[in-house]
Amino acid sequence: MTNKNAYMLIFRGNEWHKGLSPEQMQHISDQWMAWFKRLMAEGKAIAGNPLEPSGKIVSGKNGHVTDGPFAESKEAVGGYFLLTVAGLDEAVAIAQQCPGLPYGAKIEVRPVAGECPMATEARAENEAALATA
Amino acid sequence: MNAMEMSNEGYLLLLHVNESWRELGREELEKYISQNNAWLEHLMTSGKAKGGQALARSGAIVSGKNGRNVTDGPFAESKEVVGGYLMLNVETFEEAVAIAKSCPMLAFGGKAEVRPLTNVCASHIRLEEMRREPQLAVA
Repeated sequence: MTNKNAYMLIFRGNEWHKGLSPEQMQHISDQWMAWFKRLMAEGKAIAGNPLEPSGKIVSGKNGHVTDGPFAESKEAVGGYFLLTVAGLDEAVAIAQQCPGLPYGAKIEVRPVAGECPMATEARAENEAALATA
Repeated sequence: MNAMEMSNEGYLLLLHVNESWRELGREELEKYISQNNAWLEHLMTSGKAKGGQALARSGAIVSGKNGRNVTDGPFAESKEVVGGYLMLNVETFEEAVAIAKSCPMLAFGGKAEVRPLTNVCASHIRLEEMRREPQLAVA
């Protein structure tokens, strides 16, 4: 596996399933598990987990700790898949199969970077500086 | 028993970053990058982190029925993006938070979100709650 083909699906929103009946939720949950198992069997997913709804956010120089994410949010991360696929188009096509979509789930598709993007930029700037020197 | 005590799947550290590092001078930026690298290397060699990667500042957002809405990243409109993640292999939530507090990115506007991993999705937990609610009402 090369990083070029690695993508992360970040499932956003933790409020979209509110208001659904227990039967609907069971159905989506079953579909979701079947979807993940199929992707694992096909070798297209290499990992994935839901996240517990609660956690902590640490921020600031002194590492201030707050509860988070907030109870109901469209942006809260609910889980992730790690994919290894041909490219962004295939990763997006897989995201489009998410059983939560009809109910308002949102999926962020992100290429995994081979190195920290800051380091890439710092090096590019150095190279540009050397080229003009 | 709360959700955090239930978790035995490890913890996910989501590193939210903004663009404030762009204002750093070259020496400061080099120092910042080397601090980050040292922090990551320490976590990996000590076995506290069992995986993790940076995410490119690009991608897509998929939403709507059948995923018909696909918008491009990078996410210019948001000040903050998930810049990377780490899988932490520690015994307790407190230890995961302590690691988050030691993240060098915090000094430059970064945020570290600590989330217990689970095998049970949130909608399933909610479903279990809903099933218990009628029983609680009669109890």
